[in-house]
Amino acid sequence: MNNHRRHLLNVENVVKDFGGLTAVNHVSLRVVEGEIRGLIGPNASGKTTLINLITGIYKVTGGGIYFSENRIDGLQPNVIASMGIMRTFQISRVFRDMTVLENMMVPALSQGQTMLEAKTRAEELLEFALLSTLKGEPAKSLSGGQNMLLQIVRGFMNKYLRLYIMDEPFAGVHQSIKGIILKAIKTMNREKGITFMIISHEMTTISNLCNQISVLHKGEIISQGTMEEVANDPLVIDAYLGG
Amino acid sequence: MQIFNLKFSGLLLLLLVAIFLPFLMTDYWRYVFSIAYYYTIMAASWNLLGGYTGQFSLGHHTFALIGAYTSTLMILKAGIPLWMGILSGTILTIIVSFVLGFLCLRVRGIYLALITWAFAEVVRVYIRMDYVFTGGDRGLFAPLFFGTTKPLPYYYLFLGVSVFAIILIAAIMRSRIGYYFRAIRNDEVAARAMGVNTVRWKVFAFMVASGLAGLAGAFYGHSIGLISPVLGEFNEMAMIIIFVVIGGMRTQAGPVLGAISIRYLMDLLREWSEIRIIILSAIVIIIMRFFNGGLMELFKRAKQWVQQKGIKEPVPAYPQIDQK
Repeated sequence: MNNHRRHLLNVENVVKDFGGLTAVNHVSLRVVEGEIRGLIGPNASGKTTLINLITGIYKVTGGGIYFSENRIDGLQPNVIASMGIMRTFQISRVFRDMTVLENMMVPALSQGQTMLEAKTRAEELLEFALLSTLKGEPAKSLSGGQNMLLQIVRGFMNKYLRLYIMDEPFAGVHQSIKGIILKAIKTMNREKGITFMIISHEMTTISNLCNQISVLHKGEIISQGTMEEVANDPLVIDAYLGG
Repeated sequence: MQIFNLKFSGLLLLLLVAIFLPFLMTDYWRYVFSIAYYYTIMAASWNLLGGYTGQFSLGHHTFALIGAYTSTLMILKAGIPLWMGILSGTILTIIVSFVLGFLCLRVRGIYLALITWAFAEVVRVYIRMDYVFTGGDRGLFAPLFFGTTKPLPYYYLFLGVSVFAIILIAAIMRSRIGYYFRAIRNDEVAARAMGVNTVRWKVFAFMVASGLAGLAGAFYGHSIGLISPVLGEFNEMAMIIIFVVIGGMRTQAGPVLGAISIRYLMDLLREWSEIRIIILSAIVIIIMRFFNGGLMELFKRAKQWVQQKGIKEPVPAYPQIDQK
């Protein structure tokens, strides 16, 4: 229990089976408050499944997940969100028929903020993300990169946000948008103390951004440490280069 | 603010027209319009559920049937006053919709449509079969709300209830609940991840929509004086969907426009009962093919066209090239 206190997120021996397939196999992971953690691994290594377990989209088959000492596995995704864990999806999931501003309002309103509070905060964040000129446009009219950016800044509308999990936030986005995303992550981490867990295949970006990196392969954590440490780990080299 | 005032003034004007219209009509047309207002309530409430929240229920008409039968049976068998009968009909539909909404939480699309259709058929067939309690196919005589079959008071009754339903739905859609409904329809998984309690709000949408249908059904029974399982037949449901689709799904004015205009058109063509179905079907095909946002989209495009025409600048003359 003392261990949980020192960590914001504590994934303990988590298993997820889909029928005969074990997608996540006895994974343990600890994320300290205020860090930016990178989660990497080859395709189909179980990264997105692990996010879905932490955010309550999937139920764990075994083990437990703790957030700030509270057990969260088994809770509904909306309850987990209200505790301060937000996420983005690999393929951007914005509310396509709603405007950019309305998209931003949803997480704030669901946590009891007033319309005025939510609108003011949304406009500030849209300004920060250089999306304010598009605030009245339906989300379906945005480009793929703008959609990803909207999805990311929408998560900051949660005023209780403490842990932000991002699934491939840089995939397929323009360099200028990538710059805004990086700035948002660094600013929110530095100024608000928000903890991030970022899945990405962009090793250079992950290396520059993250303090600690965890490597997942075939549903298991095979290495953890700084980028230099994991990059030189024979298990990691084998996972990426081996068959 | 100016646009809001303009819209508000327009709506007020339409309401005033609706209030004074019966004085220019025969009793027959007053009856037609009171039925059109009943369908307005049904279409607007289904739009809340199937349109805004994306829960494609095929059992909405059954809640009107339950409301009508509960109210009449409570008055006839338990001897309660008429207003209490209507209240009990509305409350029972809300309770039944809560249970059905909860059962249907994990299903959507065609599966939700099939479950709600099956529920509707179970209720309809039971009412048809039970001659002792519900009167079966013969139906039941329902006490009249105003003690008369004259259509004028019922015109105002249904106008009042439909205005109430429209205001209630508009208020919900402008509140935070409206944001949740639209988020749920767009992407339920993302809505949950953003903190929306999708279970609560999906069931809530079911309860509000069905409660309004139950209320409308109870008033309907007490306006025509005879209720029968015909109210639960599938073509009732089909008509409600057609009103919404033709008017404009996921718009507030669409179901109102659809219900009133199509009911009016159907009665204009009443002497050609076979042809009117063909005409209605042709309208559905044309609207679906060219304006799948319904009449509201047609108006929107017409407005855009007029605006563009208004600001159209003259085409500059093509630069003359000196051939020499």
